[in-house]
Amino acid sequence: MKPIETTGRADDSTQSDVDPRAAARRLFAEHGQALYRFCRSTLAHTADAEDVVQDTFLKLLLHLQSGGDRSNLRAWLFAVAANACRDRGRWRMRWLPWRAELDARTVDPDTDDDEPDRRRARQALRVLAPRDRLLISLRAQGLSYREMAIAAGIAENSVGRLLARAIDRWKRAVEST
Amino acid sequence: MNCLTDIEVQAVVDGEAGEASRVHAAECARCRRLVDERRRDVTAVTAAASSGAISPAFESRIQRAIADGRPARGATTLRAAPFGASRRRAWISAAAAAAAAAIVIFVILPKAGSPTTLSASEVLGRSLQTMTGAKGVELLEYDLFVAGGMSGSHRIVHLIDHERKGRYRFSNYGPDGALESSVGQESSAGRRFLVVRAEGRGVMVNIEAGAAPQVSLPEMIQALIETSITMMQANRDQTLTVHDTAAGRQYVVEMPRVQTGSSAAAFDLYSARAVVDGQDFRIQEFEASGSVLKQPYSMSFKLIRRTIRPSAEVPAEEFAAPATAGDVVINARADKDPLSDVLTAFVRELTRGK
Repeated sequence: MKPIETTGRADDSTQSDVDPRAAARRLFAEHGQALYRFCRSTLAHTADAEDVVQDTFLKLLLHLQSGGDRSNLRAWLFAVAANACRDRGRWRMRWLPWRAELDARTVDPDTDDDEPDRRRARQALRVLAPRDRLLISLRAQGLSYREMAIAAGIAENSVGRLLARAIDRWKRAVEST
Repeated sequence: MNCLTDIEVQAVVDGEAGEASRVHAAECARCRRLVDERRRDVTAVTAAASSGAISPAFESRIQRAIADGRPARGATTLRAAPFGASRRRAWISAAAAAAAAAIVIFVILPKAGSPTTLSASEVLGRSLQTMTGAKGVELLEYDLFVAGGMSGSHRIVHLIDHERKGRYRFSNYGPDGALESSVGQESSAGRRFLVVRAEGRGVMVNIEAGAAPQVSLPEMIQALIETSITMMQANRDQTLTVHDTAAGRQYVVEMPRVQTGSSAAAFDLYSARAVVDGQDFRIQEFEASGSVLKQPYSMSFKLIRRTIRPSAEVPAEEFAAPATAGDVVINARADKDPLSDVLTAFVRELTRGK
């Protein structure tokens, strides 16, 4: 079985690389927090973010158990989570079609956003197009352009341009709030 | 080298730029200023997009899920169902699910969310206030699992107009997110409906031109709640533990076995556990077992959202039947017994089919 590589570099092979469950736990310890923040930022909904993170790590477990590709699993995790977030968004639209903007009104309270500037920054994020929010959320978790390209399903040489525009739009949204 | 483009500036900030761009940014005052400005923007936006922390409860849920190789359901995971798991149709369980959820939302939630110094009468007052105090249209969304009555966890969307009696919609979505059943009523127009979907097919029954049933679904729930409150007054032994998590303070309230003491009790609560947000006292998770009308039940609940809007802002279609193309539609007029309208309509259509 191949050793696990999480960030594109060769990793030391340990017992956790052989046991899929141990490997999944290790990857959760390494990337769980970032993945959760990414999902929470993308979905603006804590419960949904938790569900997506759980589904992502269960898929990872299956992936490892079935001998799937173990290179750059961080990008793999974010790609799976990004797809799940998109599906979750579509699912919500299906059964709450009458008030799409409801999400903005009913997101989890900004308990950690006591500062007005930060609250405005988060509000501005919510009004962005899904792809803009996705790219910013990926960037916020420290992914490289290559990893962002994999997760977002776009060409690597387009990442910088799309990200720059997304941040421009976010900045305008902040200024207009 | 020419001055940097916006994309190159972004790449410098992101550490993805080539050597030439980095050198230029260091030497050119204009570009350095642009890079610094962009860096401030990126710092601000990444901070905004990177908030929140995994709670210990969620971490243990993930660890369980990885260990079991299947989804874990948080702190509300049910103990092994002690009852036979007879699989009824989802629409039959809808009323039971509504009743169980209503107990949580209107009775246990106010109690669980109260400081422990509250007396039983204060709890009762708060419960009644919660039940009667809401104005406008209330939307409740929650995950619900009822052992023996539902297969898997269901997402419930429950819409109630507190300003217009008899106006509601209760929709039940299966584990795959697809609508399984929906019941609703528009009392002012004398309309009621039932939609049932199974295996990709839907049947919708519209009942028109009739008076609302003497007892509607919300009213049945209300009666159940009153019984529950009476029963809960007898219990003063609940335990409260406080958890300070990364996501904030949580109260975990556990109640020992509760009984009314009557041999003919309509409702018994054997045990209950609630996780309550320490800031706004919303219940986040809940599990309970007991019996309703001497039928045992075991359920878990997870509140997803609760919103209240003015009635005038809620379009009528939100209360309408969620029919889709291809559904079998049965239109019927109400008869003298509103509770048997749907059955009568089905029998009539079956007879016609022959």
